[in-house]
Amino acid sequence: MPSWQDFQPFIVAGLALGGVYALSGVGMVVLYRTTGVLNLAFGAVGAMGALIAWTLINTYGWPEGLAYLVCIAFGAAISLGYGLLAGPPLAGRDPLVKAAATLGLALILLGTMSWIWSDKARSMVLPTTTWRHEVGEVLINWTQILALALGVLITLTTAVFLRRTGLGTAMRALANDREITASLGVPVRRVEATTWVVSGALSGVAGLLLSNLVGLDAATLTFLVISSLAAALIARLRSLVVTLAAGIVIGLVNAVVTPIFSISPYRDMTPFVLAAVALLFLARHQQISFARRIT
Amino acid sequence: MRRPTASQARAPATVLALLLIVVLVLPPLLSAYWIDVLTAVAIYSVVALGLNLLMGRVGLVSLGQIAVLALGGWVAAKLAFATSIPFPLVLLIAGLITLVLGTLVGLPALRLSGLYLALITLMLAGAITVVLSTTNFPNGGPGFLGHTESSFGNPSVRRPDIAGSDPGYFRFTVIVAAAMFALALWHVRSRPGRAWAAIRQSEPAALAAGVNITLYKLWAWALASFMTGVAGGLLAGSVGKLYTYQFPTRDSIILLAVVLMGGIYSLWGAVVAGGLMKLLPALLDDWGLPADLLTILFGVGVLQVLLTAPGGLAAQVPKDLARLGGALSAVVRREAARAERAPTGPAPREPAQ
Amino acid sequence: MRRHGRIAVLILVLAAASALAACGADDGGDTTGDQTAVKCGAGTGQKATGAPIKLGAIATKQPGTDFTDIPNMAKAVFDCVNDNGGINGRPIQYIIETEQTDPGQVASLAKKLVETENVLGIVGNTSIIECAVNHGYYEQKGFYVINSGIAPECYSTPNSAPVNMGPRYSVDGATQYLIRQGVKKLVLDQSNVPGTGYIEGGFLLIAQAAGIPTESLKDNVPIQDANSIALKLVQAAGRDGGVILNFTPPEALKILQAAQQQGLHDRVKWACSTPCNTDFLAEALGPQWNGKLGVNAELNLTSAAGPDSELYRAVQKKYAPNIPLGSFSQMGFVEASIAVKALMSVTGEFTATSVNQAFKNVKNFQTDILCKPWYYGDAPLHVPNNTDRTVVPQDGKMVEKEGCFPISDVDPAIKQVRDIEARG
Repeated sequence: MPSWQDFQPFIVAGLALGGVYALSGVGMVVLYRTTGVLNLAFGAVGAMGALIAWTLINTYGWPEGLAYLVCIAFGAAISLGYGLLAGPPLAGRDPLVKAAATLGLALILLGTMSWIWSDKARSMVLPTTTWRHEVGEVLINWTQILALALGVLITLTTAVFLRRTGLGTAMRALANDREITASLGVPVRRVEATTWVVSGALSGVAGLLLSNLVGLDAATLTFLVISSLAAALIARLRSLVVTLAAGIVIGLVNAVVTPIFSISPYRDMTPFVLAAVALLFLARHQQISFARRIT
Repeated sequence: MRRPTASQARAPATVLALLLIVVLVLPPLLSAYWIDVLTAVAIYSVVALGLNLLMGRVGLVSLGQIAVLALGGWVAAKLAFATSIPFPLVLLIAGLITLVLGTLVGLPALRLSGLYLALITLMLAGAITVVLSTTNFPNGGPGFLGHTESSFGNPSVRRPDIAGSDPGYFRFTVIVAAAMFALALWHVRSRPGRAWAAIRQSEPAALAAGVNITLYKLWAWALASFMTGVAGGLLAGSVGKLYTYQFPTRDSIILLAVVLMGGIYSLWGAVVAGGLMKLLPALLDDWGLPADLLTILFGVGVLQVLLTAPGGLAAQVPKDLARLGGALSAVVRREAARAERAPTGPAPREPAQ
Repeated sequence: MRRHGRIAVLILVLAAASALAACGADDGGDTTGDQTAVKCGAGTGQKATGAPIKLGAIATKQPGTDFTDIPNMAKAVFDCVNDNGGINGRPIQYIIETEQTDPGQVASLAKKLVETENVLGIVGNTSIIECAVNHGYYEQKGFYVINSGIAPECYSTPNSAPVNMGPRYSVDGATQYLIRQGVKKLVLDQSNVPGTGYIEGGFLLIAQAAGIPTESLKDNVPIQDANSIALKLVQAAGRDGGVILNFTPPEALKILQAAQQQGLHDRVKWACSTPCNTDFLAEALGPQWNGKLGVNAELNLTSAAGPDSELYRAVQKKYAPNIPLGSFSQMGFVEASIAVKALMSVTGEFTATSVNQAFKNVKNFQTDILCKPWYYGDAPLHVPNNTDRTVVPQDGKMVEKEGCFPISDVDPAIKQVRDIEARG
């Protein structure tokens, strides 16, 4: 059993890892609360954006800043395209159907990425990764801090935005019931489009950060959503603050277990076990749910 | 209980004939490669059948069926190596143990509504996959886990005595698969099927009508687990060695895609799904196309089904064929009518343009 | 613009984005290739036109693992040979099957090659599980496969002879390097795929013989928490410790970059088994790693002098410009060269029997890409490549640090192989 001294660096690493899960989780919950769609393609969109940025930088010699902007723009464009295509026809359907449709998008993106970018060791280093900071025994870089900070920022601003602004209220109404909102005179298409664009841009940013924190690899980034989903599930897809906290806790537990060699091989189960336990705990009093709409 | 119509009465005969053709006529005609491919199609049809029943009849989505398949395979491999129980019985026991495990999960999980249920099955599948990648599959080694690292000349999971060869095992697999489909059909046609239909139509109404919703949902869940467990056993016997590679989480998502594309409102959809999952990649490989194309195709398929054609291919193709047939017969009739009106001589002169 | 139109639009948008990216994805090399003639095989400069001689290969290609560079490079060699008169005027037709680590699929592909395509020989197989699944079939059919081995069965069965050393013996070589560097403790970390027990076997014995304590760890791939892993390894190695990594390049890169980002690359001595031996990795690592990562190299440097290395580069430039120079393409080149030499030695009809006999009879195949001459022969196991080098990254390229040294015969399989070699 390692000593407390040995655990310390893992706690720091765990916070950084938690920032990863928190950022993706918060991004997904924000979209869910504003459009009613749980976008399981969140990771895939970001991954493809990051790969496009990599190609622009390494093959065409574009300046890095411009390439990153293209990545974010790509995320926004693909999400907008998807939202315009699949949003209206699925509007009245069960959230499950809407989420399943995003799986379709994820598969399309995954297949495209596999096809174009075959598997090589790629690396795209953001400038923030080279700025380092010493915390105790561990060196952390600014990308890790940025991921965590971004997660917190989104949580705070979204909470305020959704409650206080007109657009935010329109988004919440839209997520709740598209028909009634439309009949109330809210420009539904425009609000929807805005939401998808913002969410897509967020995917792009997350993709850039995660490519540095986890690796520039299509499959890893795409399936990272499953672990981040755990954080979102613990918050029952509702509270952003709980998502943020859950993401950080998952990262911490995962990292802290790492040096304990006897259970270390099972540490990848952390997000799944925590989510399953939280969900089953929350379900213990529930009857069979008739809910066809999200609250 | 409605009287079956004439076409419904004919259906079992056609199905039986088809089955006889597949079992008796096909194997000598196909090369070893295609027999292997079709064996996989048969196995994955059964897995798809489980999900097909859950989604089409009861409206439940499970994203963890591939993990259940892995469990079934694990149990079957363990039994095959540790005991000398005849293989068909191994399949049955593997199915039953998987049924029990599935029910244990279903009891708490089925309280959750659609999206949460799907996501929790994804979470549980993820957990199972991590555990399996550490414990690995039994391969004749000692202890409960039955796995030995030294893999020089490991034995394969034994096959039934009468079905040791590849064509023989193919026939065996098809017959077991047909039995699973018959089991599903029996359920659909009798009381559970009616209860499921009621639940799918409207849960409050079903509850009011006195249908025990918990019981029937659990029944569907248990049935799907049983079938998938049996399929896992068939898989173990098919290749003889099981690896965690065969059961990635990604496959659960692909399974969902192909089951949707095949069509969830007809049992034939499960056969189509099995074909999409295992036959199509082989065909694509034969034609020299990349496997990634298939991933893209499945993604498009999911979108297509959810956006426009909820019945999937199993409902769409007969409709399309019927439409095609109708169009063809309309053309034929038109030509016949024209021939009738002008029996001899040249065709009437076209008006000047 | 109704339903079908919408989906069409989405696909068009994606296709446009992909097309733009595809125009220059990866290294954006010149796809038309060099036009100067390259002399391979018979070197006649004349296209071969007779009845094709069919050969086959199976390689893993799935998200996360792609070994197709190896048979693709072999194909480039065969193309070059076909442009130079082929095998006694007959061209080689090479069929490459890709698999996604599904044992059923892998087994069926072997049958497809042998029974449907009727290939006469199998060369260039590179797969995580293929040897394990198919070796019995090859023994039954009398096929002697020349491959790049990964699974344990590639190195322990009579019908498989790899040109590479495989993970176990490559880890052995990395262990020997670190012992020479004077480490006080050794940590091995490998990807958690079947076969880890086999791979760590040699490592444990060699370290024990040198009296050095060990720790053998595994991690699931794809790696999501590289920071924690790098920390864990450095902590386990302790002061003056050494860490050996056995991962595919993208995964090893994650750990190494995480180590560097946390300033851990100077805390312990690092080594890697042969998959790390690619200039791509050297480039991605950057100058901080100069001389700090000892990579066990089963093959010579891609920039080495020598007729075979020069031919390798020439063939790559002309016939396979999109395949990067590195150990993968070198293996493909060597396997194809061995096959060509064997085929040229066939007198009489080309049948599966005669071709496989020729493969089995390969002896004393000299090449400057390998340390020692390669051979097949009749033996219960084959590890013909059991002498290695150590390379280190330097300014974006791999350079040699230690010349050819034999893998320690503390590893019992190596001892067995050396005994077989001694007997002649």
